[in-house]
Amino acid sequence: MATAEQEQSTEFLLDEKTLREIETMKGAGQWSIVWRRIKKDKMGMLGLYIVIFLILMAFASWIILGFDNWLTHQGALLGDPSNPASLNNLYIELWLPGMPADSPLVLFQHPRHHFPELAKLPPSFAHPFGTDGIGHDMVSRIFFGATVSLALGFIGQMTTVIIGTFLGSIAGFYGGFIDEVLQRIIEILYSMPGFILMIFIIVLFEDVNIPGGRYAVVVIFFSLIGWGGTALIVRSNFFSLKHQDFVEAERALGASDMRIIFKHILPNSLAPLIIIVTLGIANTIFLFAALAFFGFGDPNAVSWGDDLNKWQNDLLDYPWMPMFPALFIFFTVLGFNLLGDALRDALDPRLKD
Amino acid sequence: MSLKGFIIRRTIYIVPVMLGITLMNFTLINVSPGDPVVVRLGLIHCDHDDCYNAAYNGEAIEMGLLDSDYYTVPWFNRYIDFVNDLLHFDLGNSWYYTQAGEGVPISQIISERAIYTVVLNVLSFFFSLLLATAIGVVSATRQNSFWDRSLTVAMLLGYSMPLFWLAKLLMLLSFQLFNFTGVANKDAFRKPLFLNPTFYKYLILPTLALTLGGLVFMARLVRSQLLEILRQDYITTAKAKGLDNRAVIYKHAFRNGLLPIVTIIGNSLPGLLAGSVMIESVFGWPGLGTVFLEGALFRDYPMMMATNTIFPLLFLVARLLTDITYVFIDPRIKY
Repeated sequence: MATAEQEQSTEFLLDEKTLREIETMKGAGQWSIVWRRIKKDKMGMLGLYIVIFLILMAFASWIILGFDNWLTHQGALLGDPSNPASLNNLYIELWLPGMPADSPLVLFQHPRHHFPELAKLPPSFAHPFGTDGIGHDMVSRIFFGATVSLALGFIGQMTTVIIGTFLGSIAGFYGGFIDEVLQRIIEILYSMPGFILMIFIIVLFEDVNIPGGRYAVVVIFFSLIGWGGTALIVRSNFFSLKHQDFVEAERALGASDMRIIFKHILPNSLAPLIIIVTLGIANTIFLFAALAFFGFGDPNAVSWGDDLNKWQNDLLDYPWMPMFPALFIFFTVLGFNLLGDALRDALDPRLKD
Repeated sequence: MSLKGFIIRRTIYIVPVMLGITLMNFTLINVSPGDPVVVRLGLIHCDHDDCYNAAYNGEAIEMGLLDSDYYTVPWFNRYIDFVNDLLHFDLGNSWYYTQAGEGVPISQIISERAIYTVVLNVLSFFFSLLLATAIGVVSATRQNSFWDRSLTVAMLLGYSMPLFWLAKLLMLLSFQLFNFTGVANKDAFRKPLFLNPTFYKYLILPTLALTLGGLVFMARLVRSQLLEILRQDYITTAKAKGLDNRAVIYKHAFRNGLLPIVTIIGNSLPGLLAGSVMIESVFGWPGLGTVFLEGALFRDYPMMMATNTIFPLLFLVARLLTDITYVFIDPRIKY
């Protein structure tokens, strides 16, 4: 009785601003509320724009590079797909109506084709980011490097989160022996600095031949060792949720364990998972860039980290060569961090500063 | 239970975790493709298969992969041998660092190089803790002021900047300003180390880089922790009874904010360690991080095994110290 009264009295103490917020939120679903909160957060929106821009860039470069023959067949790119020496193997070019067909506007060089006579050119109109030490156009390296750099971050983080969620839900739901074993494993994995453990693994497994090259090995091992954090958070969420009334009700109705886990408890712990994914992608991209920077990437891949590794010692003489890949890694990490912070504030306002 | 009992229990607890870590490293080496004996042999000149086989077998016996009757030693026997050696502080000989054709004992390399890593890390940890506290207090007490906003943005930018790149940028800046890149050379490490002024000159940039790396990380935490505490009722009470702001912040808020901060710093030590590896490599600082990276680049298996045992051990000891610190910071904690 007393508690009910207290609750009543606190409700009247809400200030005007909160009341207005409640008014606008009335009848809205959870996600539209979250979206409204993010829209108010200027830094978060900046992060969202950066992330969208980068994802579009990665998709565009993937399509142009992966399907350039097909695109040429469709007439979107110039060149003769049956002739390997044709222009479209060297350039991604744009033909605008009214331009002569044999000299189209060159947007990007092919990222793997380099002109030794164009090496080490500073930024200019033809090469806005300059050219690198052996004559690649830096703009094209940056543009086409987005695919690998972002995809690695996404795939790596998604797999760790999926593994971590699965193991964390099992441990949190059943508890007992499974939970004990899992906790000990996480403890062992967490005592190793991730960067150092990854280097150790990459060196040991660099000879493995699997489709996808060395980065596939990196991603597989990253997801095998990186799931601990997610599992711990999901586990603690399950511990707090599994004795709540809605779970008991579902159990009384005869739902199976799997149904309770995946249909009822997991959707209720979605908010922390979204935050983990967003902030985790930033960390993963940073980790892979760091690995590449110190020579544990794939030197044949077109990615920002590997370009950074190749030209890091030219920083003093030709600063544009390593500067632009580094700048883009910085922007990516910044974008995901901003978006992740905004999401955290929006999904869980209690944490807001 | 007494404090002593708690410390002993926590210390003993390190043992199974370390066993797990060494077992994991050992299994990884064992399941990895490629024959370590071939890596170790490298290019040897042999006219016959017999000569090569003899060399191969000799090397394998020396590495403990084969016993004296040319039978394969089971991996758990080798693991027990490894742990046994470890308990006698025998980490084996390095493959990459050699002296007169013989591998240098790894324990010798590590005891020589550890001092560089310790100096660098302790200094930058101290500075970053100090600066992070200052920045956190300034930001939290003047929330949403100009200073708070600019510091928060600066911390966010620094947080998103890859640490190795921050170090490179510092190098570039210092080169433009003072014509000094900070890449360490032999002069810097002439003995006696602490009386050598060149050593301090070359210490500046790595320390600065590592300080910034830790600072951006910690300042965010200090700020958010303090903000949360400043909203508590007892802070209002302290203000209401007329205490000045300084006393409220340092005597009431900050002490209570210490506990979560200590936790997170203790848990972030692997990150700091990894940061130290990056900074050392960029500036050619000859500490443990460089030893580890070079060992890894040249596939020096015993060295990698040793560093992969030492780094987690350092981390576990640091966490043990964190847990003990709790007891002193917060009298409510039972042990």
